[in-house]
Amino acid sequence: MPQPPIKPRATLTKQATKLLPSALLPELLGCIDTDKRLVVLDMGHAMASTVRFFGEYRCQLNFIDLTAEQFVATPDEDLSHRQRVILMRQALTLAPSVKLDICLFWDVFSYLSDAYIKAFIEALEPHIGPATGALIINPRDSRCYLPFCRYGVADQDHFMQIDNTGTQPTVFARSQRDLNNLIDYFAIDRGRLIAEGRAEYLLFENRDSDKTDRSMI
Amino acid sequence: MFSKYRKFINGADNRSLEIDSKVSDYGPAAHSTLIGAGVTIEGKVLSHEDIVIAGEVQGVLMATNHHVHIAKSGVVTADITAKIVSIEGSVTGNITGLESVIIAATSVVQGNVECPRVRLEDGAKFKGSIEMNPGEPAQSVLPIFSVSNAKVHRSLKESGQTAIKAS
Repeated sequence: MPQPPIKPRATLTKQATKLLPSALLPELLGCIDTDKRLVVLDMGHAMASTVRFFGEYRCQLNFIDLTAEQFVATPDEDLSHRQRVILMRQALTLAPSVKLDICLFWDVFSYLSDAYIKAFIEALEPHIGPATGALIINPRDSRCYLPFCRYGVADQDHFMQIDNTGTQPTVFARSQRDLNNLIDYFAIDRGRLIAEGRAEYLLFENRDSDKTDRSMI
Repeated sequence: MFSKYRKFINGADNRSLEIDSKVSDYGPAAHSTLIGAGVTIEGKVLSHEDIVIAGEVQGVLMATNHHVHIAKSGVVTADITAKIVSIEGSVTGNITGLESVIIAATSVVQGNVECPRVRLEDGAKFKGSIEMNPGEPAQSVLPIFSVSNAKVHRSLKESGQTAIKAS
């Protein structure tokens, strides 16, 4: 049974920065081949630490903050799936030939309804290959509150987390199983609990994955 | 010295001014060309000296041997190519930095950045891609250009000079 969206908490006005240890980021970044040009998609607000970190590599770093898009901020639930996919493709602005090595989705899925996640996953599909790895931050379960933050890569073992300003959009908190069912050709490889009621998930392309509940946390 | 320059940028004074101090923590040093806050340029700007944009530029902006600084009041809708590009204002267009690109916390940038070294500050609003290659040496620079083929529209209509062809 899908959980109703969680209403946002009070507006945050001041920003605080902190380092957040990650057990899965080393796994994701450990695959980096420094002899090869890296292509990274960051689905959040551009962060200084992320640019600094990937600046050590020959890479293309793509920043696309979906939550800043009007069609995500004020979704039209009357749109067809095809129309949503077109909007997502337009927002992605990736060249058709681009294949992604790393996708940093952060918490973007928590701000998208099921219909918009499906459209996003379909729009992203041409850019995903067998070597693509991804990372998600999600509420630990469908009852947990999600802190309103921006995320970046601080180093091999840590995220950078900055409290966001403004009003938090509506949060669609999902269980690992529900999320795994929405991400189609991705499969959650493993998950770890992190602070403040959240979990991080490591994803790889796996079109043959068994999507039944495996409770990896 | 510095305050004089600040006043100039904020006050939309269109007179030319020899800058005798650096613009900010990011901006070029002395003897830069300034496009003031009340000036709009449409066309292709080729500069053979450091240039500070406090007004509007639409088209193409090239200063391959020099530093282009977009001040907080600057609005650029153009592709930019320069040795160093520093942005505190708004840029829509692709940016090629031959040495470095700095995207400050106050900036709003939409476009693709290509440069061996890029620094972005938290708070900057950036949408696009950043192509970096730290191992790549700074690209060799091209011969000197001059400001040319540009139409300058003074926003102060009462000046009676709606378009100036620069040479």
